Amino acid sequence: MNQIFVVGTSHHTAPLDCRERLSFTEDQYSDAFRFLKESRRIEEAVILSTCNRVEIYAATKSKDGSALLFDFLSDYHQIEPRQLSQFTYNYQNLDAVRHLFNVVTSLDSMVVGETQILGQVKTAYDHSVSAGASCDILKRLFTKAIRVGKRVRTETNIGAGAVSISFVAVQLAKKIFQSLEDKTVVIIGAGEMSELTAQHLVENGVSKVIVANRTYGHAVEIAEKFGGTPLTYDADLSFLIDADIVITSTNASHHLINRQALVEIMRKRKHRYMFLIDIAVPRDVDPEVAGVENAFLYNIDDLEAVIASNLKERGQEAEIAAQIVESEAVKFHLALQGFDVNPTIKALHQRFQQITSRELNVCLDKAELSPKQQKIVESMIQSITKKLLHQPTTHLRQIAMDYDSPENADDINDDYVPYVRALRELFALEFAAADDMGNKD
Amino acid sequence: MDFLFLLTLLIYLAASIFHVIFLTTGDRKIDRFAYWVTIGGFALHSIYLVLHWLRQGEFPMAYWYDSASFFAWAIILIYLCIAHLTRLRTVGGFVVPAAFIANLIAYTLPKGNAAISPALQNYWLITHTSFIFLAYAAFVAAFGFGLMYLIEEKRIREKKHTLLYNLLPALGRSDRICHKCIVVGVILMTIGIIIGIFWTRHIQEVKWRWVDAKVIFTVATWLIYVLQLSIRHVFGWYGRKTAYSAIVGFGAVLFTYVGVNLLLPSIHAF
Repeated sequence: MNQIFVVGTSHHTAPLDCRERLSFTEDQYSDAFRFLKESRRIEEAVILSTCNRVEIYAATKSKDGSALLFDFLSDYHQIEPRQLSQFTYNYQNLDAVRHLFNVVTSLDSMVVGETQILGQVKTAYDHSVSAGASCDILKRLFTKAIRVGKRVRTETNIGAGAVSISFVAVQLAKKIFQSLEDKTVVIIGAGEMSELTAQHLVENGVSKVIVANRTYGHAVEIAEKFGGTPLTYDADLSFLIDADIVITSTNASHHLINRQALVEIMRKRKHRYMFLIDIAVPRDVDPEVAGVENAFLYNIDDLEAVIASNLKERGQEAEIAAQIVESEAVKFHLALQGFDVNPTIKALHQRFQQITSRELNVCLDKAELSPKQQKIVESMIQSITKKLLHQPTTHLRQIAMDYDSPENADDINDDYVPYVRALRELFALEFAAADDMGNKD
Repeated sequence: MDFLFLLTLLIYLAASIFHVIFLTTGDRKIDRFAYWVTIGGFALHSIYLVLHWLRQGEFPMAYWYDSASFFAWAIILIYLCIAHLTRLRTVGGFVVPAAFIANLIAYTLPKGNAAISPALQNYWLITHTSFIFLAYAAFVAAFGFGLMYLIEEKRIREKKHTLLYNLLPALGRSDRICHKCIVVGVILMTIGIIIGIFWTRHIQEVKWRWVDAKVIFTVATWLIYVLQLSIRHVFGWYGRKTAYSAIVGFGAVLFTYVGVNLLLPSIHAF
């Protein structure tokens, strides 16, 4: 029977320069699939190559699929096997399924709960499909994996809550304004963090950027990056009247915006909401400002605290996600091995059918019976088969029903597996692994 | 009939509980469920009102019981409109319990079959009371959004980022919808009052006094909202001030609706 293998390297096991050497670009995929097929006899493969991981999934009859994949990686990228081995990991069958489900649900990601990986897995699978390298087992594995990824996303809050300063700022801004369209952001001072934050705000719909700097040249330089308006400022902060979001990150040693000034500005802007993000240390905005109506102030510590609480929440959600992954992986693996009830029952019936029809033919050849008599014998055989199989079939279905019922969907209830295994062994049932699994759920 | 009303009451109770559970757990399935339960309760309530009307033979607005039940119905109607238009069901956690309480009060009040004086029994009655109660219901919704605004603002200021924070709408949105509810409420109330004024001209049998406690407090309530809208427009009283006035206004509504009759004489039965 075909087995599932994965060999790969990720941020857990390899530094960036190593991952870079092992990565595949888009135009290499079809070439790589052909290479796998021709030189390694691997019919089914999916290559997942992102900046944090390079993994090859394969389904093959060969027992040493891991070695084949490892050789392929080493050959294709021309890296010494000994060197390569310290950076790679490999899993097979249930472990491989579990690993893929962990990857697709972002549990294996650098930042747990990140959203990109699901799309990346989808793309990787699409490449494989269009190269004709995913037909049977990997097709089922990856469609299931994508479904598990979506399930975790909808049933847990694993992706909720931003975990970087700039995303937290965007999220907070949305909590205040709802939509950022038609909003104006003012950046006072320079710095990577403030520019990144402004960048994310622009990507989320902020329409106007004003860059204020003591030095006009600097202002122009930064403003060019966002298509913003540069300006210089001194004591006069009247340009804040139009500002909905203010990001400050100057090196000033004193408070740039104090309460009195802000109250005046708020009055002039008719008390429309203002969100102040103070990234500077020492602070640019007087903490007293926090009490001003419709003005909301977050400094760097506040933002860090939001991140910490979000990470903690993600950690809790990740535990729920891990349970989902475990149960889905076990279920998928059982189904894949054919430990699934319906195909077993079908195979059992087919087995009986085979034997009876063979024996019937032998019998009919020997005895010369009239057509009517033939019919009677045939129907008798059929009814015996049916009655013999009735009890085991209904009993097995009964157990399987408990297993399939929705309220047990999250429990790993594999009570029925020993029965299926016994049937398969006792009657030497061979069948294509669970043909009808693909349309389940 | 009574059984139908009790059933409506119980469904509203269930809907209230589900809405509140949603606010505390954030479970989207419960949210959907709460919404559909509310719709079911509303449908049943509507059927009850129609049957009651048919049985009475005239618009049932003679007793406190009738008005409280109609008030509950109006609150749910306005809530469902808002939920349909904005896809915001979190406000249900605040207003559906209000509808339940109104209905519960109705349930405990005595109900009779005596008709209102035929002099009053006409289309004026139907339209006047309907508009006033729909306006009240809009103010209840505004009150809900005002509360949500204040909770949300407190959380943003205190930098508390918990589940409830994720569920409540953005400040700007709560503020806008609260404002819209007040606008709608004022429009409905204005129409209701105007109809009331015209109605007085058609009454001969019942002696009408202009200086009626109910009338005075209704106008006062109306003024609170209209003043708030004007100040918001002219001086930019956004956010917290809108939320506070929605709450103060709601207090005035409650007093006009219930308090006046308990404390002062009035020609209005309710």
